[in-house]
Amino acid sequence: MWGSRGSIPAPGPETMRYGGNTSCVVVDLDDGSTLVLDAGTGIRSAGLAMPPPDRPLHILLTHLHLDHIQGLMFFAPLFRAESEVVVWGPSSPEASLRDRIGRYISAPLAPIEVRELPCHPSFREAEPTEWTLGGARIRAAPVTHRGPTLGYRIEADGTSLCYIPDHEPGLGARLADVDEEWISGYDLARGAGLLIHDAQYTDGEYPRHLGWGHSPLGDALTFGARTEVERLLLFHHDPLHSDDFLDSLAGQAAMRWEALGGAPHRVELATERREIALPSATPADVPAA
Amino acid sequence: MPNGSQRPLELILARNLLSNLATPALLTNDAGDIVFYNTAAGEFLGRPFEASGTVPVDEWVVDYGPLDDAGAPIPIDRHPLAQTLRSSHAGHENYTIRTLDGVHHQIAVSGVPVIGSDGYEGAMVFFWTPRGAEA
Repeated sequence: MWGSRGSIPAPGPETMRYGGNTSCVVVDLDDGSTLVLDAGTGIRSAGLAMPPPDRPLHILLTHLHLDHIQGLMFFAPLFRAESEVVVWGPSSPEASLRDRIGRYISAPLAPIEVRELPCHPSFREAEPTEWTLGGARIRAAPVTHRGPTLGYRIEADGTSLCYIPDHEPGLGARLADVDEEWISGYDLARGAGLLIHDAQYTDGEYPRHLGWGHSPLGDALTFGARTEVERLLLFHHDPLHSDDFLDSLAGQAAMRWEALGGAPHRVELATERREIALPSATPADVPAA
Repeated sequence: MPNGSQRPLELILARNLLSNLATPALLTNDAGDIVFYNTAAGEFLGRPFEASGTVPVDEWVVDYGPLDDAGAPIPIDRHPLAQTLRSSHAGHENYTIRTLDGVHHQIAVSGVPVIGSDGYEGAMVFFWTPRGAEA
């Protein structure tokens, strides 16, 4: 986890434990392939920690809101001519993925243009289908958020990871009651070994943010329970939520997850620099190096 | 990978919208089957969606119509609004339908196609008693 904050970076003493960088998760597969999920500000540190890649590096963008692409321009592999970087993201009827990202990596917001990046990245619109990257099967599907937004499911090495960092499946629907076929993201997340899911707001905060594209804690837990995931990692923390506040939220999440039938230790809040191993047999955590 | 049970996102969002409206409305899929209707529509028709579930379009026509001048159901392939929607255009028609209690009603129907990245996914259909025809 290189960034688990939502909306805007929130550095400072009150966010040091959970971290202030925006969305970025690096997935290392057993075959040596690396996938990067989103390019929020966390990708800067992730890139600095990566050895020179010996194979294509794939960045899977869920959408192009700034908190998911802001770090792209500071991702070290893009500045190495020998790197091969492929950027995947949602299609849009208004412009190509390259052109939409180019609106950020261009004047006046940036000192360089996409065409000047030394590694000459390629851009591919992720169709709502399945494909293979390295040793992983990838599926992308549109999910409820503001603007074209994808969730991803990655299956490899006998386990599965679902990543839906910005998601409001409960907008206009009661997730606890509605048939599963009517739940956004259901097929992506169903039975995943690990679900990384939006939980930006408390249930009390949510009514003031209805339709903003994010979930309250209750909906995130209900979505995880309805999709029967093995483990749930709550993500995209609100920038106003301090470490102490998130500690309190984590306690509530564990109790409510247990009430929904889950094991309390199988739900937690994402923490920057945390490393989670997902072996196919017995999932176990290892501390970050 | 799990597959197949989830509706297209565009239909999910359309259903969420319709379920929160007080205007009678229904949602069709690309085949024309009625995959949802809201509480207001259920009250008008005489049966809540929870009791019917998805209704194949042919069954819908038999149960509710629309009906021709002789009171016979109009087959879906002669249903002008359905044809308009399938051509990805919005449309409006006046129809006679029959509710579950057997009473015939004049209704105005407006349909809006739901077109996603994969093309025509279905339609949102709104209906009400035409101006001047209220009881």
